[in-house]
Amino acid sequence: MARRTGFYLDKRNGKLMGVCAGIADYTGFDVLWVRVGVVLATLFGSGAPVIAYFVIGWVADAKPGSVYDLEEAVPEDRQFWQKTRAAPGRSIREVRSSFRDIDRRLRDIELTYTSPNHRLAREIDDLRQQ
Amino acid sequence: MGPLEALIPLSAVLAIFVGMPWLFLHYVTKWKQAKTITLEDENLLDDLHDIARRLDDRMNSIERIIAAERGEQPRIAELRSDLNNIELRPQLQRRDRAI
Repeated sequence: MARRTGFYLDKRNGKLMGVCAGIADYTGFDVLWVRVGVVLATLFGSGAPVIAYFVIGWVADAKPGSVYDLEEAVPEDRQFWQKTRAAPGRSIREVRSSFRDIDRRLRDIELTYTSPNHRLAREIDDLRQQ
Repeated sequence: MGPLEALIPLSAVLAIFVGMPWLFLHYVTKWKQAKTITLEDENLLDDLHDIARRLDDRMNSIERIIAAERGEQPRIAELRSDLNNIELRPQLQRRDRAI
């Protein structure tokens, strides 16, 4: 199974080697701003971003097709993993809070079905039908 | 050239060749410790996230059924999640099969 928190080149959305698209996909920034940032850094700085671009493009792996399929199946997963890459602890707490939310809703349902009022109302309904 | 002036290049060399890499490596290791989770934890988190989402869907449908049983109007939030479910349903099934 492919890692969901790894850095990959995003060849499908990339222009040249998919490095900027990969960075955008990894961090969650808009791909346009990543590209503009790289171009500006190249213009106003040294040639280092260009070298870094090709080194990353050569070293990093392309994103596996299975990860694309998973993202296509559940689009919100992409954001979830972007948040996980930035702060794993926070997304673990988010998952916990969603479990707590489910627990609370389930408890509410349980309460309504086990409460004396509900049973009484049902018995009255039954009597009416007879 | 006094002894103090001889110290200046020495301290500069030390700062650049020892201090800088030290600082850099120190923060790199800290960053790595803080940010990485192991592959097992990642798979576990993926599973938990998936289960939470499915449970959430099921809770929505159960709440809807109960509301209908009582003759109540479904709440706006439930209606909205219904719409999402309708859009996601075939894709979700596809993902279930992929797993």
